[in-house]
Formats: sequence, C-alpha cells, structure tokens
Amino acid sequence: MSRLEEERKPFHIKILDRIRASKLLKIIVLLAPASIFLAIFFFSPFIIALMYSFNMFKQVVYTYVFVPRISLEYYIRLLDFPGIFVTMQRSFYYAIVTVILTLLLSYPAAYYIGFKLDPKYKSTAVLLFIIPFWVNFLLRTYSMKFVLHDEGLVNTLLMTLGLIKEPIRFLGTDLAVIIVMAYDYMFLMFLPLYGVLEKLDKELLEAAATLGASPYKTFLKVTLPLSSPGIIAGSLLVFIPAVGEFIIPMLVGGVNTTTLGTLIYSFFITVRGEAGWGIGSAAGLIYIIFIMVLSYLYIKLVGAEVQFG
Amino acid sequence: MIKYSVELENITKRFGQVVAVNNVSLRIKENEFFSLLGPSGCGKTTTLRIIAGLEKPDTGVVKLHGQDVTYIPTHKRNIGMVFQHLALFPHMDVYENIAFGLRMRGFSDNDISRRVKRMLEVVRLPGFERRKINQLSGGQQQRVALARALVMEPEVLLLDEPLGALDLKIRQEMMVELKRIQREVGTTFVYVTHDQNEAMVMSDRIAVMNEGVIQQVDSPDTIYMRPKNIFVASFIGEQINFIEGVYKGNQEFEAKGGMVLRVSDNPDAINKKSVIAIRPERIMIGDKAPPRGMNSVEGRVEMMVFKGSSIEYRISANISDEIIVFVPNISPTMKMYKIGEKVYLTWDPEAGIVLPFESKPAEPRKIG
Repeated sequence: MSRLEEERKPFHIKILDRIRASKLLKIIVLLAPASIFLAIFFFSPFIIALMYSFNMFKQVVYTYVFVPRISLEYYIRLLDFPGIFVTMQRSFYYAIVTVILTLLLSYPAAYYIGFKLDPKYKSTAVLLFIIPFWVNFLLRTYSMKFVLHDEGLVNTLLMTLGLIKEPIRFLGTDLAVIIVMAYDYMFLMFLPLYGVLEKLDKELLEAAATLGASPYKTFLKVTLPLSSPGIIAGSLLVFIPAVGEFIIPMLVGGVNTTTLGTLIYSFFITVRGEAGWGIGSAAGLIYIIFIMVLSYLYIKLVGAEVQFG
Repeated sequence: MIKYSVELENITKRFGQVVAVNNVSLRIKENEFFSLLGPSGCGKTTTLRIIAGLEKPDTGVVKLHGQDVTYIPTHKRNIGMVFQHLALFPHMDVYENIAFGLRMRGFSDNDISRRVKRMLEVVRLPGFERRKINQLSGGQQQRVALARALVMEPEVLLLDEPLGALDLKIRQEMMVELKRIQREVGTTFVYVTHDQNEAMVMSDRIAVMNEGVIQQVDSPDTIYMRPKNIFVASFIGEQINFIEGVYKGNQEFEAKGGMVLRVSDNPDAINKKSVIAIRPERIMIGDKAPPRGMNSVEGRVEMMVFKGSSIEYRISANISDEIIVFVPNISPTMKMYKIGEKVYLTWDPEAGIVLPFESKPAEPRKIG
C-alpha cells in the first residue's frame, strides 16, 4: 500500500488498523470493559467486606472511618454465635440434597430429550422445560407457599385421593425449603446435562453393545462418564447459589430453617451497625472460602473419574 | 459341507414409507471376506446393522453360525463391529478401549493384558497402550477400532465403511492391512462400502445392492466381467458401453439399424429387446476393416483424451452415438487417431454381454 493511500484513509479506519495491529491494544480493548466492571462491582466491595470483617472501620455517628488495625474480633464473635455450626451444617445439607434431587429429576429428562426424542421436537421440549423459569424468581418462590400450604394444592390433592387424613405440614420445615430450592434451581442442572447428552455420539453406545455390554453396563461405563462434565457443571451451578440461599428459607421456611444466607442477611439488615456489618462480612467471607474449597474438591474428585484429552 | 457364518433369509426392513431392505437373502461363508457394495441409500448399512442386531428386521430370519439370532440383542451376539466414525471411547486410552469388551465378558486382568498386547501386535501398534485416542492419526485410530473388535474373537466382523474418513494414501494402505489381518485372524469379514475399488481389492465375494435389493452376488472378477443386469454393469468399473437391440439366439444380436453383432450367449434373452454391454478396454481400434467373421463397426472419432496409461476415444457409429474405447498406452510409436478420422472398431464376441433391457435403467449414483 502506498503512502498516499495510507494518508487518504479516514481517521477511524486508521485507529481500527492500529488496534488490529497491536496485540496489547487488542487485549486492552476486548478485556478492559469486563475487567474494569468486575473490579468496581465485585473486587472493591469484596475488599471493603474484608476490611469490615477485620474491624478496620469505626463508626462515628453516621459515618464509618478507616482505622489501621486488624482484629479477629468479629470472626470470634461469629464462631461464638449460638447455633452457628448447626446453621452452616444446615446450609450445606440443603444445598447437597438440592443438588442430588435436581440431578435425579433432570438426568432422565435430559437423557430422554437429548437422546431418544425425534430431533425436530428437541428444541420445543427444552423450551417447555425452561419456560417455568422465565417467571420471576421471587414470584415463583412465593407462589410455592400456596402450593405447599396446609390447605394448598398438594395437601388438597393427597386428601382428595384419600392418601392422607391430616394435611402434611410443609411450610416451615426442611422439606419445604428443599422442595422449593430443587424447583427453583432445576433448570441450572437440566441445561448443562442436556448439553452434554445431546452431543453424545449414539454410535458409542452401539459400539459398547457390539462389545457385549448390556444397556445397563453401557450406561455405567459410557454414558455416565461421558456426561460427567454436565453433571459437574450442573452440580456447581446449583450448589453455589443453593448454599448461600436466603430468600427461600425465609419465605417457605421458619425458625428452624435458618441458613448461612439468612444469617448474613439478618446481620446486615436486622443487627446492622459496626458489629452487624463486621460479623456479616466475616460470615460472607467464610462462605466464599467454603465454596471455593468444596468446588475445588468436587471437580478434583468427579473430574478424576473422567479424563479428557 | 459348507459352513455359513451369516445367513439372512427374506429380510425386509421399512423406515416409514421407505423400504430400506427388500426381501434380502444372503449366505456368507466362514472365513470369507464378503462386501456389500452399492450407492448410498441402497440398504447396505441397514443390512449390516440387522446382522449386528442394531436394527430389527420387519420380516425374515438372521442366523449366525446356523443359530437363529433374530430376537437376540446385540450384546449377546458374538459379533464385532467397526463403525463408520470408529466410535472409539474418548474417555479411555488405547488399552482400555481394546480391553472394554474383554472386561464386559469378565476376563481376568492377566488375560486381558495378554490379549490386548497380542492384538496391538496384530494391528501393528505395539507400545501404544497408554496413548489417548485424540493423539492418534486417522489410520492409527482405524487400527485401534479393528483391534477392539477383533480382540473379542468374534465369529464375524462387521465393517461399516471404515475407510471412508481416511485420505487416499492411508486408505490404500489400510486395504492391504485389512486383507492381511483377515487372513491372520481367520475371521469372517462383512464389509460395507460404496467404493467399488475397496470391494474389488479385498473381497472374496461381493453383493451389489441397489434400492434395497441384491442385484448380484459373485466374485469380483465375475461381477466385473459377467454383470447380470444394467445396474451392475454400469455401477462396476469405470465406464461401459450399452448397445440396444434384439438378441436373436445363436450368439447373434441385431443392433439398431439391422446390423448383426456376434455376442456371448444368453438363452433367457432370445427374441427379446436386450442390451449388450461392452467394456471400453475390450474394444480394439484400427484404420482398416478387420477380416470377416469378427465384429466390425465403422465409426468416426468424436473425442480423444490422452490419460497417460491409456487413451480414451469416443466414437460415433450407426449402432450407437457414443462408443467409449480405452486403448492401452503400450508403445511411444502407437498410432493416435484425430478427431473426425474414420476408424473401425473390433471386439471379441465374448466381450459383448447380453443383458435384459430396462426401460429406465437406474442411474447409479457414484460417490468417491
């Protein structure tokens, strides 16, 4: 290209050419927006919460003033908090049961739609599966109160059928929280499972059959290991929000369904003040560390079963 | 008494309105390399899948080694199969892929290790045990797929266009390999392909299929030299000439325009509208009329293509607008005819095969 042609180029083309030529510039232009966004809205509040948890802010009338100190006071107070370990245990229990329940519910459906269904109906079937989750989360959760109520849909149905004499008490129990969590998070399990099962090569199953594997063995040795990336992804997608869930235990649970999430919520909203924010932040950080450790272990354990590439 | 590995009796399979396999009966002998050859959609893969038990026939009986297996599921049939896309397990290494079937049959670890090792030697991949599948070349994956099927010592090995995905050079190499392996392990091979070259090179016998029907079952040379109908004649080989007319009996064929040609006998076609098929390489070309008593047709050169090992001419004559002739390139001083030149075509009566006339000869789709 001649110098003249270079000169005649419009200004914005010149800029674009410069960007295309520079690798560093490309990285900055493409990555910067998301990085800056995350830095402002995730990383800085994270640092602030960390500082609160270490008691680095002192309340002076209505404002908080930075004090250069590191104190573990709020962590100690959190661990001294009555019922804290039961609460943590309960959060993990809810999350793990929710993961198992959504997996057991989603896998057969994802298997059927991804594998057996005529390809022309697949996208419709997936859509039908996902439509309930278009409804606002809060609305969806709140409506479950009416379904699980003593005189709600489930109890009325069971009593009409004569299966029970007295209504089953759902609201305020672990069962209600788990049912609603499984319902709210099922699509997060279903979609990644469907993704891997839909792509799984059917010829592999036929190959297993020609090698003497029964349908049951084929499932165990071929289908299941090859769908484990979907199981891992789905489990993490459900587990992470489930372990920190606070709205569902508050709406359909009761005094006996306090979770780490509701606890953090009440520290920030009900207790408030220097101590409330400090202990709440400490709880939040412990929660993040737990999730990181558990996710890492999970991927290690399940991922070791299947080695790709 | 001949033992049969595979026997199909009156197999029919429909998919909706389409008859994929139409009343097919076949007997494949023990230790035979048998090919099912035909254009895509001719029912050859469905036939293979019916032998494997991956498809259930609507009617008919499937026998393996004399035993009726029509209602026996795939995993209980003693067959091996090599799939078109190989279907190697991506989550297992080479060793585990080959060991898979043995594990399913409950072999001991020692036994498995010994058999896998031996099998890797047969397919010439020793030391590849711990390789991942995606670290192998196409040809190597092919060998692993073969080893995985053969390690089970199946009574019959089914191969569904296994060389389709390979490039030409590796494909030719694998053809020789397959034949060697088949001789070495002494197993019946049933090989599905649309590539006549593959079928010709490897097979003891070939079944040519079209539109769900078996057209002819014979050895490669018979299929090439004695096709039974227009489909087989035109599907097999590079080119073939058809000349319409009526077979008069006594090796005499009356072509269009009343010219009588000497042909090989076909008692079924006497006094019927027929077609003679002549391979282009069986026709000789010359500038003088041959002696009496031989087939001789006068024509004009319409096209000449120098192809290296041979020269292809297209000649117009009164019996046919276009007669293709291949002349082998045997000498640098051989005469080459120019477009428009008058020539005489001559061929042996045996080269003209009389076939029943078909009003609309099925135009075979040639792929690859």
